[in-house]
Amino acid sequence: MTDLNALSDADFRAEVRRFLEAEYPPGLRNPPHRLHMDEGRPWFEKLKARGWVAPGWPREHGGLGLDAAKQIALIEEYERHGVARLPDHGVIMLGPLLIRFGTEEQRQRFLPKILSGEHVWCQGYSEPGAGSDLASLRTEAVLEGDHYVVNGQKIWTTLATDANWIFCLVRTDKSGKKQEGISFLLIDMTSPGVTVRPIINLGLHDEFCEVFFDNVRVPRENLVGEPNKGWSMAKALLGFERIFLGSPRQSGYALGRLKLLAERMGVFDDPDFQDRYTRLRLDLADHKALYETFVAVLRRGETLGPDVSMLKLHQSELFQRITELMLEIAGENAGLLEPMEGNRDLHPAGQFIEARPTTIYGGSSEIQRGILAKNVLELPG
Amino acid sequence: MSEALDAMVAERAESIRMIRDSAAGIAPRGGDRKRVRALRFQPPGFDRGVWQQIGEQGWIGLHVPEEQGGAGLGLSEFCAIAEEMGAALASEPLVPGALSAALLAAAGAEAPLAKLLAGESYVVTAWQEAPGVLEAPGNEGAPRRFLPLAGGADAFLVPVREGGKLALYLQPAEGADLTLEKTQDGGFFGTLRPQGGERVLEDAAAVLEVALDEAALGTAAYLLGVMDQAFALTLDYLRTRQQFNRPIGSFQALQHRAADLKIQLALSRASVESAAALLDTPGAPQAMRRAAVSRAKARASEAAMLITRQAIQLHGGIGYTDEADIGLYLRKAMVMANQFGPAALHRRRFADEAREEEA
Repeated sequence: MTDLNALSDADFRAEVRRFLEAEYPPGLRNPPHRLHMDEGRPWFEKLKARGWVAPGWPREHGGLGLDAAKQIALIEEYERHGVARLPDHGVIMLGPLLIRFGTEEQRQRFLPKILSGEHVWCQGYSEPGAGSDLASLRTEAVLEGDHYVVNGQKIWTTLATDANWIFCLVRTDKSGKKQEGISFLLIDMTSPGVTVRPIINLGLHDEFCEVFFDNVRVPRENLVGEPNKGWSMAKALLGFERIFLGSPRQSGYALGRLKLLAERMGVFDDPDFQDRYTRLRLDLADHKALYETFVAVLRRGETLGPDVSMLKLHQSELFQRITELMLEIAGENAGLLEPMEGNRDLHPAGQFIEARPTTIYGGSSEIQRGILAKNVLELPG
Repeated sequence: MSEALDAMVAERAESIRMIRDSAAGIAPRGGDRKRVRALRFQPPGFDRGVWQQIGEQGWIGLHVPEEQGGAGLGLSEFCAIAEEMGAALASEPLVPGALSAALLAAAGAEAPLAKLLAGESYVVTAWQEAPGVLEAPGNEGAPRRFLPLAGGADAFLVPVREGGKLALYLQPAEGADLTLEKTQDGGFFGTLRPQGGERVLEDAAAVLEVALDEAALGTAAYLLGVMDQAFALTLDYLRTRQQFNRPIGSFQALQHRAADLKIQLALSRASVESAAALLDTPGAPQAMRRAAVSRAKARASEAAMLITRQAIQLHGGIGYTDEADIGLYLRKAMVMANQFGPAALHRRRFADEAREEEA
């Protein structure tokens, strides 16, 4: 196997493009919603055959061992090609967490099955009463002999219907500060007492779920790290989520769709539209430049600070503004349930709705602004 | 003199209040959202029984002269009803129905008008040929698009350009070449390829222009109801949803945002009500009337989208589920904001008309 890290950026990107052109299923380019695992399985099998399931994991654990800059380049090439996001919580979230905080036994037990696709993971963090205030979560795990007995409910669990394992933040101590009694627990979803209920979202798609735990018995060796230290472990992974959600991908894609729509609607000769469209282009160009400065931090091997919240905040709101302009120019087409003229690329209403949750999930815009005000600007209060 | 005028204004306000109250039976504010959900995506997208009740209440012909079987009331009354229907998310096509009633009244087509006013039939005016416009070119044979809830239509009124005039044809729905597309609010837009029918009016150009303006204002009023109710639901949520051991409405960032939304709501109400009052003023110049309608529709379209979008954001994750009712208001706004002219069209029109008015 060639050492991908040794390749120049251009050669690496060429390598990725060759792979995508040869192997990526054309029918899965730019899907209108998150793929279920069964829909994405053909692509997963290609990645598996190539050994590319986990680009960021070290090689000794079966990953590609790509450095941060190459990982970003890989994501950019995937985005350029319209590669669909698979149910990837095992690869993106759990794997790195086990590598950093898990025991050797846990690593050997779980990592290979993420790579093989035998285990599909979902993430159980949010609860009905614990959204923005995640640390107030109440799903409880009580140690009885060799098992934790889990009771409670998770919500906004992405693609839980596809998963057979879930990693959860659970309350194991109610005595101290709310952040200090939280543990990180791995739960087999085929265990008795686990129930999944899909939630139909505004796009009328079943991307999110509720997961209920009713006296679910979980072996105590499924607890990762020390008991009551789950909060800081989970938080250590959020920086990655924010740079991922701050990538120009969604806005770039949406701007392309806005252009197609504007051409179809014949508004490009309207000077007011031109000005507004150009503003959005400039916002995107500047966002890319800002994003690059954060990538450069990773490239230098440094960790990201709380200012990465700027990326997620600006990207998600830009994405929304682009789709709002789509509705404004689409006339009555703005109200259609299905794409215009049977053309999947001309679907202003769908894009608009898809953009709605991006300022809510992964830390809402309100939470991100709070982080910027407190942790970056260090304003009082 | 001024006392008499005050008394008249007070009497009018009282009659509008009573009309609003009468709406509660059919279109309860805050709505019967179970009914709304049950009708979603099920052709024709509205309830014929409720349509008939609306007819019996006299709402379809509210603005039609009494001697033609209508109630002979003004746009202020009509907008009050449209707003209540918006607040209730009622799917029944009051504004398109009233548009057709105005045309049938002008045509003196007594029998079809009587049936429409009674809510026994639904007549759709098939004037539109392109998205985002407010003028009827009347091209013969050209598909007529975005016909609201057209699957439930009993007949179509089709304007057709003939020489320098815009003739009006009444075409029965039976056997019509009609296709339907689903809309976000659970309704349908129809596309009609018009064929024949009976010519009921030789030149509808002037009456259609006025009727389309009234429909634009009625739509603005409906949107006002939508945003008002979405805002009320959101305020309830801000008061009750607890995070960080306090109601989220106690956070200043959210308080300020709610205050800003309230201003947009108040501007929309003032705009719609003053436009309706102007249209009810005999002798108001045409340019002034058109400018007032455009001002109201531009405001209501933008404010309805802003408020319903923010309503989702302020509801957080639950707002993005289909089972939360707040999303129904966003979907309704998405469908209606651009109907009878998007905001940009009305801003352009306002600029043109206001210039004319000053000249």
